Amino acid sequence: MNTLTPPVDAIELSTFHTWMGGDGICRTVTKPNAEIDLPQAKENSIAVAGLFTGKKFPLFIDARSVRSMSREARKHFSTNGRDTRIICMAIMVRSPLSRVIGNFFMGLNKPQVPARLFDEEPDAIEWLKKFL
Amino acid sequence: MSITSKDKITVNNQQVNRILEVIMAYARLDFSQKTEVHGNTDVFDAIGAGVNMLGEELEASTISLKEKEQLLKEIHHRVKNNLQIVSSLLSLQSETIKDEIFLNLISASRNRINSMALVHEMLYSAKDLKKIEAGVYIERLSQNIINTLSKPDSKIIFTFNINNNYFLDIDRIIPLGLILNEIITNSIKYAFKKNEGEISIKMSEFENKHVLEIRDNGIGFPKNFNIETDSNLGLQLIKMLTEQMGAELKMDLAGGAAYKITFS
Repeated sequence: MNTLTPPVDAIELSTFHTWMGGDGICRTVTKPNAEIDLPQAKENSIAVAGLFTGKKFPLFIDARSVRSMSREARKHFSTNGRDTRIICMAIMVRSPLSRVIGNFFMGLNKPQVPARLFDEEPDAIEWLKKFL
Repeated sequence: MSITSKDKITVNNQQVNRILEVIMAYARLDFSQKTEVHGNTDVFDAIGAGVNMLGEELEASTISLKEKEQLLKEIHHRVKNNLQIVSSLLSLQSETIKDEIFLNLISASRNRINSMALVHEMLYSAKDLKKIEAGVYIERLSQNIINTLSKPDSKIIFTFNINNNYFLDIDRIIPLGLILNEIITNSIKYAFKKNEGEISIKMSEFENKHVLEIRDNGIGFPKNFNIETDSNLGLQLIKMLTEQMGAELKMDLAGGAAYKITFS
């Protein structure tokens, strides 16, 4: 399953690569077969928040190679009840597995900011640009 | 070594069987099991991951439900304790009073409070926190009232004819308890001149409605008794509470006192 290739200056975390794109959209890509629990989710949101330079930004999440995401992690990513630097999120899901996880995230752990699942990267970026 | 389609079918069957085992474990509320997600990105992995996540959500809901039940038990316990404190305070205050009328009023009020406290006491120890077994409640309530009101040489007996499986919710049992309290109190106080007699309580079902019948074999109501004009507070309460329950009240004034309350 092809995922977005991280640039050399991307922040490498235990289960993610995260970086700020030149277009003002933050990208975060799960590593192959990533098993995301609360510590990994928190590690990611700290890295994302670290890219804040005074203006909130859209977040592009490439979850195509995720293997599992715990309830606590999904709850954390929903941003409910915590201050966040992001204004919206687009989640790339193409495999049946990532699609199931994405739908759980959108349904049972409804995110606080506008969020949508996408099959195609250009569609996701186009949607996120509307929030810039 | 290449994987044949037969091998693939065997692996898939094993995975499906494992998913079924996990679903059955969740049905038994055993959330320790998880399906293995191999990272094959196929539909079996997706189903497995979905089942795992449903299990997590079900476990969280079950825990939350148990916590709520615990909280509800705690509330019933506290309500019962508070009602008992009010009842004890009334009792303490009455210790210095000699006026018979006032003492009777205190005693009647205490019995009303105790009839409600008993509901909460039974609810926090019940399996189902919303319903209690009417037969057990009515027998305990009757016993409590007679213990408070009857004289030491009393020969008043109760007979009960209530099905074991009569469960009523709190909205029904609280007014019903208060109604019973008034009727039984009236019988004990006024029906038996020689302090000897029988109060029978029957509960049945008729045309999908509950029918509660309370009858004593005492002296009955005075001649020319008019419920609209001659009622004491107890009878007024019975009327008011039956109306509140949307119940129908029928009184038989011939012979001993008899009440029939029909409610849904």
